[in-house]
Amino acid sequence: MSETSDVSSRLKEWVEYFREAREIRRRYANWDFIKSQPPKIRIALEYYIETGDLFNAAKIAGMSMEEFNELRIKAGIPSIG
Amino acid sequence: MVNAITDTSFLIDWIRYSKSKLIFKIFSIIYIPENVLNEIRSERTLIWISEGLEEGSLAIFPELPDISREALELVARSRRVPIRPVDYPEAFCLVVGRRLNFIVLTENGGAIALKSYDPEYSGVEVLRGIDVIYRLWRLNYLNSFKDELELYQRETKHIYSRKDLVRYSDYLK
Amino acid sequence: MSINEDKIREWVEYFREAREIRRRYANWDFIKSQPPKIRIALEYYIETGDFRTAAKITGMGVDEFLDMAKDLAGIPTTD
Repeated sequence: MSETSDVSSRLKEWVEYFREAREIRRRYANWDFIKSQPPKIRIALEYYIETGDLFNAAKIAGMSMEEFNELRIKAGIPSIG
Repeated sequence: MVNAITDTSFLIDWIRYSKSKLIFKIFSIIYIPENVLNEIRSERTLIWISEGLEEGSLAIFPELPDISREALELVARSRRVPIRPVDYPEAFCLVVGRRLNFIVLTENGGAIALKSYDPEYSGVEVLRGIDVIYRLWRLNYLNSFKDELELYQRETKHIYSRKDLVRYSDYLK
Repeated sequence: MSINEDKIREWVEYFREAREIRRRYANWDFIKSQPPKIRIALEYYIETGDFRTAAKITGMGVDEFLDMAKDLAGIPTTD
């Protein structure tokens, strides 16, 4: 019983952690830059802001992870954790 | 619930349907091959995909050399038959369907034809939009199969032929 | 691989009907008014259903091409 509540409270901490990370990405993002991008790139950046998922964001953009990482830096989006 | 893999032809039509998200009631995960994602440029489709990825109902299926090799062989083989051949993205989905037992979502006639004449792929389960709508109706997510099919064809601008509809003639009266 | 000839004949008929559907719904006024590249791509697509090659002819993405074919040229997808 106590193991279950331990796991549950750890999960809650992680949910909060990811929520906060998303807030930070949203706050620091250069939205003018992002909105000026062509649809594929814009949507990939927005997806990255929401999820922090670099792997799939790069795939949406049609880039390598390294290229997309350069792009997210240009877009002012911090990588958290 | 089972997994599915979708090609471009299915995706482009399905996301025009106003109830497109109902498809996630039938499948645990729908995989989109990387080569299919690379073909997509329209905002509407990309937004649908990114929302699905975020919700965990979609996932991207990577290019795997083994599957890629078999898909290329399938493309070549399909060209020896005097009807519509399959292109690489459809072939890729069929190979994944055969190897991993995923349901293949496609509107591509060449892929559906191949399943019917190539014994190696006859066991692959292939669903078109009309088949997904039928399943949703059987599972009570939709009220009327006939009305919903009309709506689907209107919204997606995909028209099913006589041969496609004959299979469901009992439900379309 | 030995192919069932009857099955092939059925599929030939199926694809012929699909082409008829595309031809019937197409907005020919729109198609004829397009610059050569687009017109040829749309006509090719009507005849063959091969949206990938048609999209390549226009330089569009496949979804962009199909959206144009459906929404502007009236050509439904069917097979």
